[in-house]
Amino acid sequence: MTATLTASRETPPGTARPRRGKRGRAGTRPRTFYLFVGPWIAGFVLLTLFPLGYAFWMSLTNTDGLSPHWSYVGMDNYVRVFQDGQTLASLGRTGIFMLATVPTGVAAGLLMAVMLNRDFKGRALFRALFYLPAVVPGVAAALTFKIIFDKNAGAANAAIGAVGGEPISWLADPWVRSVLILMMLWGVGGSMIVSLAALQDVPKELLEAARVDGAGPVYSFFKITLPILSPIIFFQVVTGVIGSLQVFVPSLLLAPVNGAAAVTAVPEGNYFFMVHVYAEYFAKSHFGYASALLWVLFLFVLLITGIVFKIGNRAVFYGGVDPSERKEG
Amino acid sequence: MRGSLGTPVSRRTLMRGSALGAAAAAGAGALSACAPSAGGSDGGKKTLTIMAPENEFSPEFLKSAEKELGMTIKRVEVDTTKLTAMLASGTAPDLVRGLGAVETSYIVSRDLALPLDDYFAKSELLKEDDIDPINDVWRYDGSVQGQGPRYGLAKDYSQDAMFWYNTALFDAAGVAHPSDAEPVTYDEWLEMGRQLTQKDGDTTTVYGLSAGGLGLFISLTNMTASAGGSLLSDDLGTIDFSSPEAQKALTWYLEYARAKVGFSPVEPNPDGWDWPPYQTGRLAQSWSGYWFGGAIAAEAALAETSRLAPAPTMGGERVSPCFGATGYWIPKASKNHDEAWQLFEWFMGGDPAKERAAGGWGMPSLLSLRADLPVGTPAQEQALAAVEAEADYFKVLSFTPYVKVEALDAVLNQYLPDAINEGVSAGALADTLNNDMQALLDEGKELVK
Repeated sequence: MTATLTASRETPPGTARPRRGKRGRAGTRPRTFYLFVGPWIAGFVLLTLFPLGYAFWMSLTNTDGLSPHWSYVGMDNYVRVFQDGQTLASLGRTGIFMLATVPTGVAAGLLMAVMLNRDFKGRALFRALFYLPAVVPGVAAALTFKIIFDKNAGAANAAIGAVGGEPISWLADPWVRSVLILMMLWGVGGSMIVSLAALQDVPKELLEAARVDGAGPVYSFFKITLPILSPIIFFQVVTGVIGSLQVFVPSLLLAPVNGAAAVTAVPEGNYFFMVHVYAEYFAKSHFGYASALLWVLFLFVLLITGIVFKIGNRAVFYGGVDPSERKEG
Repeated sequence: MRGSLGTPVSRRTLMRGSALGAAAAAGAGALSACAPSAGGSDGGKKTLTIMAPENEFSPEFLKSAEKELGMTIKRVEVDTTKLTAMLASGTAPDLVRGLGAVETSYIVSRDLALPLDDYFAKSELLKEDDIDPINDVWRYDGSVQGQGPRYGLAKDYSQDAMFWYNTALFDAAGVAHPSDAEPVTYDEWLEMGRQLTQKDGDTTTVYGLSAGGLGLFISLTNMTASAGGSLLSDDLGTIDFSSPEAQKALTWYLEYARAKVGFSPVEPNPDGWDWPPYQTGRLAQSWSGYWFGGAIAAEAALAETSRLAPAPTMGGERVSPCFGATGYWIPKASKNHDEAWQLFEWFMGGDPAKERAAGGWGMPSLLSLRADLPVGTPAQEQALAAVEAEADYFKVLSFTPYVKVEALDAVLNQYLPDAINEGVSAGALADTLNNDMQALLDEGKELVK
């Protein structure tokens, strides 16, 4: 009994190997595990690996998805990606959009979370109000923004007119991208709620000790709160970067044409990479070229995510450990 | 793989099982293509899969169709992506909605559509001498649209270059109404648009004219035809915006957009289409055909003051084409041609066709159904007379089989904003359009042999 106890104490939790054998709970564990992950693996193979492979095969052809007279074009579609001015411009535009929305969105969400983490009357109401836009469906949000920013009858131009300004054609270039960025920031409550949840986990005794040592609120925020929140902020940055590189539907919803034809009428300012991919697929029927574009985007997202992780490793306090110490260790 | 409960499963066995599961799931789709119909059978009844919008095949309407025809009908939403996937996977739908005017040559040249002449020849409901000539847009002989076998039929149609106007806004602006019989020229039309546009300071309260039509490329095609030319060569493989007629059309459109008397890529319509501004008295003239009257009829006051005018002319032959002719076609790959035709025939020539005609949302495809068109309001009565007078000027404008109209619209939308804002000449714009659109046509030629 003593020996058994000693052995179990020496084994870190969760690392015990199941006893091999035909009978008993330990024997069924791998089976149970694989039964649980099996559907996911099947889904991954069917919905991720197969489409990736299929898209790669298509990217080597000039197929339009319908004609039987397609042919192999080798790497021509990939060469074309880097020679197509519209592709490069849309990629650049997407990068700028990412730089504009991700840091702003994360910072705004964090700022709102810090404000709403304080004790004041009506805190719950404000939390609900700030989070509400995040649960409004995107289509409804876009329609609302179209009404607000209508050149002739919108509230935005009415406000500008009230102070003597001239009406702005918000839904056309060059202003339409500003409307899109505002629309994305309108849903910042999602980021706020994540940061707010993380703020609840900041140990109060740490902040109290810092206060006793004479640290002010700003110093405590940057030296204690922010490092503890850094993994959550990092998570938001990574998902935000990936999401912004794939932005598509909001651009279509702000286009001046309804329905599927909207993709042909997206103003240049909102003509992002995924809009371009969709237009190449379903307006121009360039299934081969559009598949190559998707593969390039996939690799680009991997690259950007890798860079973000590299930077994150130097700045994120995992488990409260200073990344510089972790590196030395 | 040992299947008894409580026995371990190796990674390899699991992976094999997952792969088998994946293969089974994938195979299910393929196997369904081997079944007698895309949707299988339901207690001996054939199941048809149709690609149609809900407002044309509502659940209630589907039930009545199933009862009438003795088959089960499954509706899927109209979606190019889904259609491509269904055709590629061998589970083609049995009936597909399409725009005859701009899609017929595209689908026929890709060998997707079933020629329907044999069915038409035997039909009791759809007789050759009763079919409106406008349905020639659904014919294609491999080189000319409007000739050869029929591949579909319009559920209803409009001559889309005609335009609706609100007499109340004309009277308020002191502008004479257009004639019911004689078309205005495009220049006169634009001038009317200028006179009808109302501003409150820098804000436009009434737009005089919306010339977006059903799309930029087909609108320019129509204007060029009206000037006596053609954007596409006779073999439909070359595009030319540099001809004098096409230049006239481009120049007019640039002038219209720069005048900001209506919606364009630089003056976007936040509603996405003409009806909301027209309904609320913020638009005096809408470039829409007879179908627009279906919406107008529901607004008593608007029905009193709305009228339909002939298609404007640009100096050449008087033409009044149809840009849509929205209807249905049967894929060659469908496994249920006969049943699909049964539904097609009933929908196009049976009671549903009569009900559609009475609704006034478009001209019926059968001449015999014209008697069912509504004439209850002044707008309906006048519109019918205008359309009947306009019928003589109908002309099929052939569309290229090499590319979809959306591709050409995308090119126009790419270059027009800068051209409008920066005062680019029609000649310079034509060079850019010719270059990019010709590249698309040339790529399309590779796929049509």
